[in-house]
Amino acid sequence: MRDTLIHQRPWLGLAGAALAALLAAAPALAQQQAPMLEDMVESGELPPLEERLPENPLVVEADSIGTYGGTWRMGMNGGGDNGLIVKTVAYEGLVRFDPEWQSVVPNLAESWEANADATEYTFKLRDGVKWSDGTPFTTEDIAFAVEMYQDPDYAASSWIDNKNNPVILEVVDDLTFKFKFDTPNGMLMDELASVNGIHITSLQKAYCSQFHPTYNENAAAEAEAAGFSSWALYLQDRCAWGWETIRFANPDLPSIYGWVIDTPLTANAARVTWKRNPYYWKVDAEGNQLPYIDNLDMRVSQGVEELTLMALNGEIDFQERHIATNVNKPLFFDGQEAGGYHLGEVIPSASNTLVLQLNLNHDDPVKRELYQNKDFRVGISHAIDRQEIVDVVFTGQGEPFQVAPRPESPFYDEELAKQYTEFDPELAIEHLEAAGLTEMNGDGIRLMSNGEPAKITVDVISALRPEWIDMLEIMQLQLGAVGIDIELNNIDRTLFYEKRPGNEYDAQVWAGDGGLEVVQEPRYYFPANDESVWAYKWAQWFNGTRPEIAEEPADWAQEQMELYRQIRSSSDPEQRADLMKQILAITKEQFPVIGVSLMPNSYSIIRNDLKNAPESMFNAWLFPTPSPMNPVVWYFE
Amino acid sequence: MVGFIIRRSIAMLLTLVAVSIVAFAIIQLPPGDYLTSYIAALSSTGDQVDPRVIENLRVQYGLGEPFYVQYWKWVTGILQGNFGHSFEWKRPVSELIWGRLGNSIMLEGLAVMVMWLIALPIGIYAAVRKYSLGDYLATVLGFIGLAVPNFFFALIVMYLAFVWFGETIGGLYSPEFETARWSLPRVWDFLSNAWIPVLVLATAGTAELIRILRANLLDELKKPYVTTARAKGLTEFRTIMKYPVRLALNPLISTIGWLLPALVSGSVIVSVVMNLPTAGPMLLRSLTTQDMYLAGAIILLLSVLTVVGTLISDILLAWMDPRIRYGSK
Repeated sequence: MRDTLIHQRPWLGLAGAALAALLAAAPALAQQQAPMLEDMVESGELPPLEERLPENPLVVEADSIGTYGGTWRMGMNGGGDNGLIVKTVAYEGLVRFDPEWQSVVPNLAESWEANADATEYTFKLRDGVKWSDGTPFTTEDIAFAVEMYQDPDYAASSWIDNKNNPVILEVVDDLTFKFKFDTPNGMLMDELASVNGIHITSLQKAYCSQFHPTYNENAAAEAEAAGFSSWALYLQDRCAWGWETIRFANPDLPSIYGWVIDTPLTANAARVTWKRNPYYWKVDAEGNQLPYIDNLDMRVSQGVEELTLMALNGEIDFQERHIATNVNKPLFFDGQEAGGYHLGEVIPSASNTLVLQLNLNHDDPVKRELYQNKDFRVGISHAIDRQEIVDVVFTGQGEPFQVAPRPESPFYDEELAKQYTEFDPELAIEHLEAAGLTEMNGDGIRLMSNGEPAKITVDVISALRPEWIDMLEIMQLQLGAVGIDIELNNIDRTLFYEKRPGNEYDAQVWAGDGGLEVVQEPRYYFPANDESVWAYKWAQWFNGTRPEIAEEPADWAQEQMELYRQIRSSSDPEQRADLMKQILAITKEQFPVIGVSLMPNSYSIIRNDLKNAPESMFNAWLFPTPSPMNPVVWYFE
Repeated sequence: MVGFIIRRSIAMLLTLVAVSIVAFAIIQLPPGDYLTSYIAALSSTGDQVDPRVIENLRVQYGLGEPFYVQYWKWVTGILQGNFGHSFEWKRPVSELIWGRLGNSIMLEGLAVMVMWLIALPIGIYAAVRKYSLGDYLATVLGFIGLAVPNFFFALIVMYLAFVWFGETIGGLYSPEFETARWSLPRVWDFLSNAWIPVLVLATAGTAELIRILRANLLDELKKPYVTTARAKGLTEFRTIMKYPVRLALNPLISTIGWLLPALVSGSVIVSVVMNLPTAGPMLLRSLTTQDMYLAGAIILLLSVLTVVGTLISDILLAWMDPRIRYGSK
């Protein structure tokens, strides 16, 4: 049952909290802590464990009770790889996803309630949680974070300052607060449990307020003395938002993570290291303070070659990121015995290896009409020999697939996933001719209604996924055979994004995000956000970020948008699932984007002596693996 | 000689001014700026950035200003020793680059020395014993060295070290010395880690040097003064070393200035592959993220090194070869 990405009931959280409280109460006698901390307590450097843990610490269940010690070694690709840190250490929001990505469970908040129309949420924080510097984590810190995110001088943006529906905070007492919204926000809990939830818990008022002129009248002068041109830049340097790279360059910034910075992430760091947070507020089933592992060691490598060799040599304890490429799989498989590791299963959240997004809002009326013609898109889809691409590029891994929820998802619909995927050039030609492409020029390319050849320039960033070029080159030949000319335009990422507001593209290519997080990432199912490149102007009409280029969408898309608005305002999970299915039904009917094949599973490298680590996990950004699998209970045997 | 050096130095300064303008312009040529690449990076993780936030940042970073204003600020800052701020790392550029440039100069300096140490004797031998077995060997190895890209050679060495010795090659220091101060053990640790990258970096250059030296020397050896020297009864060693070799070295000395930039740009991929903390990968990253003051500073400093190198080679040439005249009168 993976239906869940949408339907967490508020009372589930309460029940979970009650259970956790029970579990915590029972074994409280034998609480233990890491030997290194025990020594510090004895020497008086640290208060005793009871004073450091909250009243009601979060109990993390695991297969086995572990032992303290060890260093978890992993690798970063280049200096700007904050993603690894976020996904490993920094996922500590008010709530979190359970390891199966099925429901939202308590984290820093021990319980919460929502009103019926999803405009008011009441949260209760765990009593006695402390920042890594030993000061209490309270609603003051939540209020400060809201204030900062909504301050235009603090350059960060998230759901907190979403200008269509910003958070209105009401502090009740030290541990209780309310989020209120003018418009219903039925998806708030999913947002809070995702990686975006860490924004609200990332800024300690006591430390960060000293850089803001509201709290410190000398802030501007101090910023200048520190070599910054404005207090805002100094504040952003010392107290960067949520997962900004520079945040991990400041070891003085208090946090609530399981590990705190030992060697910071600077431009010249050869490695980033972390040591255990003595004030961490989670315990195992026997009441022992977590985490088990003493230190994290992140090697900063300029490229993946060194990391690959390190993994083969058994110098990486757990990692999927960067090194788990398709090409290297046989190499890692063969090296298991020598390297003392084994491979775990990683299920990607993306549905598709390549999404061909024709620009339905093209400025050229001829192309716009053609691309909006469903027969044209169906014709292209039938002209692609997907099995050949799967065999050649992915060594047979994956299967022909459209852009649709993955088979693991409760929204999986075989028809949506498989329609128009059979390779049939004659059928393709039939559809293309139905779309009005009956004439051909001397080169065998079909002519559009204005007499120009039907040439589609496809923007692609090969640096992001090298296999895209291989796939597109095969598709180029296959589509050429039915009279459609594909031109590859391999460009840099910046230009790729710059072209969108200007509407200067025929088609762009990306991977199929939203295969599991169907409701939260619906970019291909209807024109939902800036990543809906296939209908960028329609998406602007929907989300209102760039009203100057917005355009009224087709009726079917408007119908989907209306349904999605209802999802947002519904607090009933079943109703939300039902509405999403209606959206997907329209997607199936309209067939807006063309997919190639199901994204094959990836793999993780797991050292054999690392226990409690997941043999199988989902991988996504919103579900920032491996953090939801609770690395704090992993240990070395 | 003094006048010659002064004239050269003035020309050098003017060149640097021109280089700084061109460098600054080139960095700004790609569409967008640091913030657009920042937005692109955020968007790909599904983050929507409020345009107002970006506008604010643009003002804070001074990115909206016209080219000449930005350039003037940058240049006047440099004259006061301030290279500007790195957008990505929010740190003064001068704090970031010296360590990396130091590593680059150290590694590449060693590579140049190794290059000369290997190439000179082999080149001379190959010319003097033309078409001998040794010459053929040197020629074959030389062509292989020229043909194999450095980074590929680096990959092979890394793979072999892993397969044969179970060693992971990467970086310049062992973990315990990464952040330590310089000391005798750290120098030893550096050398024991650095010899592989140094050899890799030196291969292509060595091969090239052998070929050039051999060709130059072969030209010289045929000349009558060599025969005369022999007829006068000089020993063979002295005959060859004193005159023809000295002349054959001329083209090598005049290219000293180009060695550094060639090595820095040639070593980017090697540095990425072998994870060397040199200026190359930092330059590459700052260019892709459009972190313009950082990229600008690295390019400018490399240009300074090139220009200084050229000056040194000019002076050396003038000193080595009395036939060279100062100035063009």
